[in-house]
Amino acid sequence: MSLERKDEYDHGAWLEEKDLSAVETTYLKSLMWLDKRFRIVDYLELMEDMYYKVNLQMPKSHTEQYNLDNKFWYWYPLYALGSFSVIAYIVAALTGALLGFYYAPSTAGQGDPQAYAQLVAIIKDLNFGFMLRSIHRWSAQVMTAAVFLHMLRVYFTGAYKEPREVNWIIGIILLSLTMVFGYTGYLLPWNQLAFWAGQIGVEMALAVPIVGEWGAQLLFGGFSLGQPTLQRMYILHVFVLPFVVTALIAIHIAIVWMQGIAEPH
Amino acid sequence: MSDNEPQTDGSGPGIVAPDDEVPSWRERKERTTGLSRLTYEYFERARREDQDLRQESSYVERDVLGFPAWPHETIRNLSLASFFTGMILFLSSMLPPHLGDPANPAQTPEVILPDWYLYWSFGLLKLGPLNPELSILGGNKLLSDPLYGVLANVVVVGAIAIVPFLNKGSARRPVEQPFWAAIGVGGVVFAFTISALAVKNLVPIEPNLLFDLTFLLPFVAAAISYAVLKTMREGYMYDLNRRYYRLRPPR
Repeated sequence: MSLERKDEYDHGAWLEEKDLSAVETTYLKSLMWLDKRFRIVDYLELMEDMYYKVNLQMPKSHTEQYNLDNKFWYWYPLYALGSFSVIAYIVAALTGALLGFYYAPSTAGQGDPQAYAQLVAIIKDLNFGFMLRSIHRWSAQVMTAAVFLHMLRVYFTGAYKEPREVNWIIGIILLSLTMVFGYTGYLLPWNQLAFWAGQIGVEMALAVPIVGEWGAQLLFGGFSLGQPTLQRMYILHVFVLPFVVTALIAIHIAIVWMQGIAEPH
Repeated sequence: MSDNEPQTDGSGPGIVAPDDEVPSWRERKERTTGLSRLTYEYFERARREDQDLRQESSYVERDVLGFPAWPHETIRNLSLASFFTGMILFLSSMLPPHLGDPANPAQTPEVILPDWYLYWSFGLLKLGPLNPELSILGGNKLLSDPLYGVLANVVVVGAIAIVPFLNKGSARRPVEQPFWAAIGVGGVVFAFTISALAVKNLVPIEPNLLFDLTFLLPFVAAAISYAVLKTMREGYMYDLNRRYYRLRPPR
């Protein structure tokens, strides 16, 4: 009796008892040799998995599967609102990157502030510029609307309940950040609406005791609006928020993936 | 419970083979001959080996109650999402945004407004009349009106954030919980009325009346939806209970 532990997966012995032809033996041996080194089985499983998914029939709807009343189909478009806000976010990011090539966060200039003049140039001179700004603005509006409606859907179908509290809170943070995104973007054209909306922001910050003045200086670059405000809003809009929001969206979706989507029963 | 009955615990992919006669993928592979058959046998062994190793390790697989996001929801959503992207492009070509006058600190415009999605927050800043004047402080206010407004924002967001810690359980439909649905309807109506309050110089209603309506209408809407849902529930829940709670008893 050997001291060596018996290998249950002795592929060599298995090969012996199979009584194979030379071609088969060579093939199988090289397959084992490669698999031992590269674990082909893992990748093969992945490919097999994909193969099944490609050949998948459309799944039964929830109501069919659970034999519930078949009058809940009208809920389902509402379940696309979350992914729709992501898509609007992607559209806004792409157009925003293009707009950023032509925009300058500057209030300098003799007549109109430079930021405003750049916007006029984008609209009037740049090929496709007006459409670009239009798409950026509309996708932002639509994203905000979709996020609000998404929250309502989650509330009214009770999808925030017990195992999913964390995602509800992340969702609230994302909703707030979406509004901050909108607000900072609203200020960038540096037109009358932007300036006076910024004024409200400074007043809100200053109303908070203790940290208010510090916050106003951090976010608005002082107690009255000017070049520092615009620059800070620009950096928030194109640098800080995109990273934070994208990371949070990734976590949000990862949690949905792990927990599955809560269906109304 | 027989095997044919639907499972509500999330087990099983919910995909039914077309027919009992149709061979499964395993059967198809077992029927093959030659090298593909050998490949199949070898990989079956290798897979079993992997599985045994996994079972020896401390790795734990957990069952999660839910509906798979991939591929079920993703496929469904993609078609809807491309439609919506088209809608964004359509909107932006039909209704391009207006670029107003350049910023002018010297000239205050008649209407100062943020974008529409911040109207509710802007409206909460105008709650000054609700800020109590304390007689202890000689009729002074404890909090300044702007701070009161900022705190109202914090309170609203905080109230939304604690909802999942207050409302637990497996009920999903509004009819199952008329109270929470009514709270939701009241909240939605309040979001609209407080937005109307924010733009009160644009709303053709007398300001005092508008202020009162802002706080009355949400309660009215909540009461109505509570009554409606409670009434619906009587007829509705009987059928639902029979079919559903039998399968998935409440905790």
